[in-house]
Amino acid sequence: MNDEHVVEPQEQDVDILFFEIGAGLFGTDASQVLRIDRSLPEDITLPELGPLHRGNRALVFDTPEGEGHLKVDTVRGVRSIPVTQLRRMPPTAGAAPYAVGVCLDEAHTVLLIDLVETARTQGTQGRH
Amino acid sequence: MAPDRAVAAQARPEQEFFCFRVGDLRLGVPSENVLEVFRAGLLTPLPRTPSFIMGVTGHRGEVLPVVDLLRFLSKGEARIGPRTRLFVGITGSIVAGVVADTVLGLRRIPVADILPPPLGGDAAAEHLLGVVPGASPQDSINLLNFSKLLQTARQRAVAR
Repeated sequence: MNDEHVVEPQEQDVDILFFEIGAGLFGTDASQVLRIDRSLPEDITLPELGPLHRGNRALVFDTPEGEGHLKVDTVRGVRSIPVTQLRRMPPTAGAAPYAVGVCLDEAHTVLLIDLVETARTQGTQGRH
Repeated sequence: MAPDRAVAAQARPEQEFFCFRVGDLRLGVPSENVLEVFRAGLLTPLPRTPSFIMGVTGHRGEVLPVVDLLRFLSKGEARIGPRTRLFVGITGSIVAGVVADTVLGLRRIPVADILPPPLGGDAAAEHLLGVVPGASPQDSINLLNFSKLLQTARQRAVAR
């Protein structure tokens, strides 16, 4: 008799790191985030997502030019989200290139941000 | 009686429009361009979109860009309130939610009653199929060329 447990195929999940900028809640692929750091004045900001309250934290991520640092207000933590709840941004929306999709979280839709794309979008701004 | 109605319809052809009010405008969209109507929920604003895109909303597992026709037609700005409705508009592969303050319903309008859009009108006129006059100017219904409107909206959004 074989005692090995049969592993049921799990629904594919993606770890999403949720963070706040101003009053807005956003998400990003947690695998892009190297660490959470204290922010510095020269870090990348995205005023289009709303004005920062304090911006004391920075999400640190890897880019071809080195590390990128995006200023945020609060990190809400990481949750595993089924891929079935993730949607690509409709091209008809014409959103900024770093706004790559949406997480359908019950009644809310949370905008998903591609961190590497924020560094490209910001050009020379930011700490690398 | 039905054959008589059919004969009457042939003699006086009609087109069905989904009619609604947004701001001070009464608008109509060909009913084949409308999938459904639902109560507007929370919108997620997007960065760097054209001004007429209010954001996106989740509906039946899909993400819909939400279009403000008042901004698109340069007639003001729509506001989302507790009674605001969104209708799902479609043409080809383009699907969008569109803000409506009040739904007036489906109306069968005799084609003969549709007047051509005003000549030399503003930017809105180029997206009109025609106008159905009412008792007063406020009661008239502007019938939208919705397919052209959505295609223009997509071009403006993507070309930026």
